[in-house]
Amino acid sequence: MTPARSVLAAPETGRATPRIRPRSTLLADLGPTIALVVLCAVFAALSPQFATWGNIRNILDSAAVLAVIAVGLTFVLMLGAIDLSIEGVMAAAALCVALLVANTRNDNDFGFLAIVAATALGACFGLASGLLSTGLKIPSFMTTLGVSAIGIGVATVLFGGVQPSITSPGVAEWASGQWFGLTRLTFVAVAVVVVGVLIERYTRMGRYARAIGGAEEIAYLSGVPVRRVKVLAFAFAGATYAIAGIMVTIQLGSGIVQAGVGQNFAAITAAVVGGTLLSGGRGGVLHSIVGVMIVTVLVNGLVLIGVSPYVQRAVQGVIVVVAVAITAWPLRARMRVVK
Amino acid sequence: MYVSEKTGTLPRVAGASRLTPAARRRLLLMAMPGAVLTVLVAAIALANPHFLRPASVWTLLDSAVPILILATGAMLVILCGGIVLSVAALASLASVLVALWVPALGGAVVPVVVLLCALAGLAQGAIHVVAQIPSFLVTLGGMAVWAGLALVISGAATIGVSGTTLDWTFTRIGDAGIPSAVLIGAALVLVVAALLQFTPLRRWLVAIGSSESAALMAGVPVAKTKMAVFALSGACAGFAGVMLVGRTFSGAPSLADSLLLPVVAAIVVGGTAITGGFGGIGRTVIGVLIITVLRVGLSVAGVDSSYEQIFYGVLVIGAVALTIDRSKLPFVK
Amino acid sequence: MSAVLSVHDLRKSYAETRALDGVSFEVRRHEVVGLIGENGAGKSTLLKMLVGLVQPDSGRIELRGRAVKMRGIGQAGAAGIGMVFQEQSLIPNITVAENILLAAEGGAVRGGVYRWSDLKRRAQVQLDKIGSGIRPDAITETLSFADRQFVEIAKVLATEERTNAEPVVLLDEPTSVLDRDETEILFAQIERLRTRASVVFVSHRLDEVLRVSDRVYVLRNGRTVAECTPGEVDEAALRRLMIGRDLEGSHYGEEDQRPPGDAVRLAVRGLTVRGVCEGVDFDVHAGEVLGIAGVQGSGREEVCRALFGARGVKSGTIELDGKTVRPRAPRAAIARGFGFVPAERRSEGMVGTMSVAENMTLPHIGEVCAGPVLRRGLERRLAETWIERLRIKTPSAAAPIGALSGGNQQKAVLARWLVSDGLRVLILDHPTRGLDVGAKGEVYRLIRELTASGVAVLLMADSLEELIAMSHRVLVMKDGRVTDTIDAAPGEKPAPLEILERMI
Repeated sequence: MTPARSVLAAPETGRATPRIRPRSTLLADLGPTIALVVLCAVFAALSPQFATWGNIRNILDSAAVLAVIAVGLTFVLMLGAIDLSIEGVMAAAALCVALLVANTRNDNDFGFLAIVAATALGACFGLASGLLSTGLKIPSFMTTLGVSAIGIGVATVLFGGVQPSITSPGVAEWASGQWFGLTRLTFVAVAVVVVGVLIERYTRMGRYARAIGGAEEIAYLSGVPVRRVKVLAFAFAGATYAIAGIMVTIQLGSGIVQAGVGQNFAAITAAVVGGTLLSGGRGGVLHSIVGVMIVTVLVNGLVLIGVSPYVQRAVQGVIVVVAVAITAWPLRARMRVVK
Repeated sequence: MYVSEKTGTLPRVAGASRLTPAARRRLLLMAMPGAVLTVLVAAIALANPHFLRPASVWTLLDSAVPILILATGAMLVILCGGIVLSVAALASLASVLVALWVPALGGAVVPVVVLLCALAGLAQGAIHVVAQIPSFLVTLGGMAVWAGLALVISGAATIGVSGTTLDWTFTRIGDAGIPSAVLIGAALVLVVAALLQFTPLRRWLVAIGSSESAALMAGVPVAKTKMAVFALSGACAGFAGVMLVGRTFSGAPSLADSLLLPVVAAIVVGGTAITGGFGGIGRTVIGVLIITVLRVGLSVAGVDSSYEQIFYGVLVIGAVALTIDRSKLPFVK
Repeated sequence: MSAVLSVHDLRKSYAETRALDGVSFEVRRHEVVGLIGENGAGKSTLLKMLVGLVQPDSGRIELRGRAVKMRGIGQAGAAGIGMVFQEQSLIPNITVAENILLAAEGGAVRGGVYRWSDLKRRAQVQLDKIGSGIRPDAITETLSFADRQFVEIAKVLATEERTNAEPVVLLDEPTSVLDRDETEILFAQIERLRTRASVVFVSHRLDEVLRVSDRVYVLRNGRTVAECTPGEVDEAALRRLMIGRDLEGSHYGEEDQRPPGDAVRLAVRGLTVRGVCEGVDFDVHAGEVLGIAGVQGSGREEVCRALFGARGVKSGTIELDGKTVRPRAPRAAIARGFGFVPAERRSEGMVGTMSVAENMTLPHIGEVCAGPVLRRGLERRLAETWIERLRIKTPSAAAPIGALSGGNQQKAVLARWLVSDGLRVLILDHPTRGLDVGAKGEVYRLIRELTASGVAVLLMADSLEELIAMSHRVLVMKDGRVTDTIDAAPGEKPAPLEILERMI
């Protein structure tokens, strides 16, 4: 019986080259959750409104869209890639669904099919990101930046200068209706999260994405179908961004090109803060969701104590850099090349 | 487990055809941008002969200047292998600051804002170098910080500018009606070109961009150089903000935000490799011209301006795909 | 007994080097075959070839009587050959079970869906084969080195179920990361392996090889030079076979070796780099060449990098001409008068896209600058001077250095340290690697000239013969410590065997 050695034990050869040390992932797993609890405690102390049921429902509802995005983004980050196409895909999906359900611009009334179509559109964008990155061997940040522009462009063209407002009563029902005090969209988010967790734990895409993020070269040489996994992950992520775009459209009641503004950044911040590192192979869907809660609570709390909502973006920017700096600090080395 | 052999990369076949992938790429990078620009200009001129009249040429060049200024600064960072996603947001912030402070500072607002933006760029560079965080991440965060600051400072509103303090950025000079902006842009290009040609800066950037380990081992001041070009890119962003206020008579928190993609596209299409180690100011000028001519060309061809973003997206992906040095990225993430 | 694995006349060349120059051997059923050789003899190239990480230029690999072409670990695994890598090849952030069955989960993953209990069960089967108590659901990076090595062995054994044939297990220096107890456990595993597989055991620890192997092959200069059984030979005999005599007949110019000066140029005391070396002491005199001998993992490369500021130092002092220095980066070391020619020329020694002149002036750019301004004319003339002096074959000073042959590249890289007068200590990390005989000779000549002008040289080389011939003294390092210093005056040069004994 060989129990796992403690983190501190080093080999007794009196010899040299340190190989990969046995590591514990405990701090990485619990840290963000502790941070969330502390954050809630701080805001509860600073503002009497924070800890009310009404506010908690508020928090959960406002976390819904970001949560859905974070689920998809997690798989891309797990690979070690990055996705900057969120705003573009959300915009395209928003306009697509707004123009396919009953709206003020045309006579379409496809109802649920519209949602399916918009989601498929998102998946196609993701597919494009994945295929272009892996096929042309371009870094994902470049590809997704381009795809985002294409998405915004598509949305702009669809928008055509006249905002499509949704007239479908079904959609209105979903926008305002409530189950157990929470909006229906919140339950959609929960469903997406559950699906995400299942995929992460029980499917090839989920497990191989983690392996690829951990050591891509080894995975590739061992016969893991790296390209296929990457493309699938991007496609799945695209679908989730589309769902998020649809949710925003339902909330707003109309399709706008700005449907996803600020979400790309918020999602990356949420994922990183929750422990799904940009380097890949770490964290997971639940980690990202904890990060989503941290970001949402932060925004909510700051507004309650009177901080300008415009500061949000700046704060998120600082948080993400600080969070990455903290995780990257121990890896610093003299001759290390970081681009 | 390491796959690389200690004796170096795979052998060159002695005496074989010189058109290895690397050589082919270099040829593409050298010749294509100029060729593309020529073809574009010719095509548009054929469709619309008015295009080549001096008046339209000057107007076209004038409209290219803000992007040129942004691209010049960004190119320096890209040359050494980094990326600055925050230039556009910083330019927007600069426009807000300029619009806000012009009444109080008058003409002095320009050096003040440019300096502040240089410091902002320096801060990003310092974080990148000291904390060893990838530049795309630092500048992604920077982008959010500058955008947020711009929103807060401006109260999410456009700030109008009256008076003649900044007229020099957007006026016509002489009988020929040469736009002052073009002269300013040309001056900047010349200054940067001189910097690259007459000091060791260019070779340091190329060394860092093409082989940072070799640069470190050869005593190149890597950290200082990187921070310096980040600062320069910040200064350029600030100056671009000034120019934008001059021509829109206002400062706004997202004034320059839409310029990020055209700037990146211009740099890449001009033939500067996104992985670093290859490129320069001349290429950037050609790239900016291509982007600007393309925009004009699209409207001449009757294409709706809403399609612009799609074109930029496709262009960026295509140009990077053609020019990227894949040998430097064994496993592309 | 017929051979399970046999290779015939494998050859592989890289640019101007011949990594493998005709290797043939065979492994029989239930046999442990040892493979030994010096650094650079070709052992790792050979092993990589057997799992398809490297393709042979010519020669044949036969597995169970049929010629095969290996294309990668996955495919090799499917064919029944697995390698336990020296620097581990497990994916750290997934479970042991996933690693053992990576890309070969079989029925445990159906329709893309994981059945964890089945996966764990299958992994357990492999772990039972080696009698290890490791839990299949443990995350790989939480295990110790030794445990991870056992997981790797289990991973290789998993090929048994895939191929319905006994696997061939390649062990690449498996004991170099283990302590004594763990090594004993490994040997026990090898005995178990013997009953169901064939094993190739590569190591530079001759005592272990003799203990564990049924037969031993000796590799030298990319060729199999001997096959013996442990009963017939002892360690001394093996070492003799490893060294042999250098048939190349390189001329080292020994007669030009002048005695060094009395002044101590570089004094190193108690140098400790964390996890690499401890308490390293040595002196280098002006005009002296100090050769540093040691196998991989001895710490010699790191000591040299630490002197150059490329590696952090935990404790110890470095004195250059009597003054203490603590270079924080290569740039600082260069300013003090250090020079360094790295082993990996393409990635660290030169900037391939820049010109010969630009590469030459990079460390001491001040020599061709007037204030901040670069004087290109001066630079060109300076480069041309050195091109002529060192007989560098290049179309011009402005030609990209990447277009030159290896030897000329190396000469240009060497020249960069000579451009300024301030060179005091030059560190050469395998300077003649990949060079043809002629180029090697020129580098030797250059080193002799340098010492004549009072520069202290630290030299590391693959070939012991080269090291001994070029050095005034040889410092031997093993497992992070200095074990010996041996004089090597011309005419009284020690035999390579003497050095080898202290290295291993």
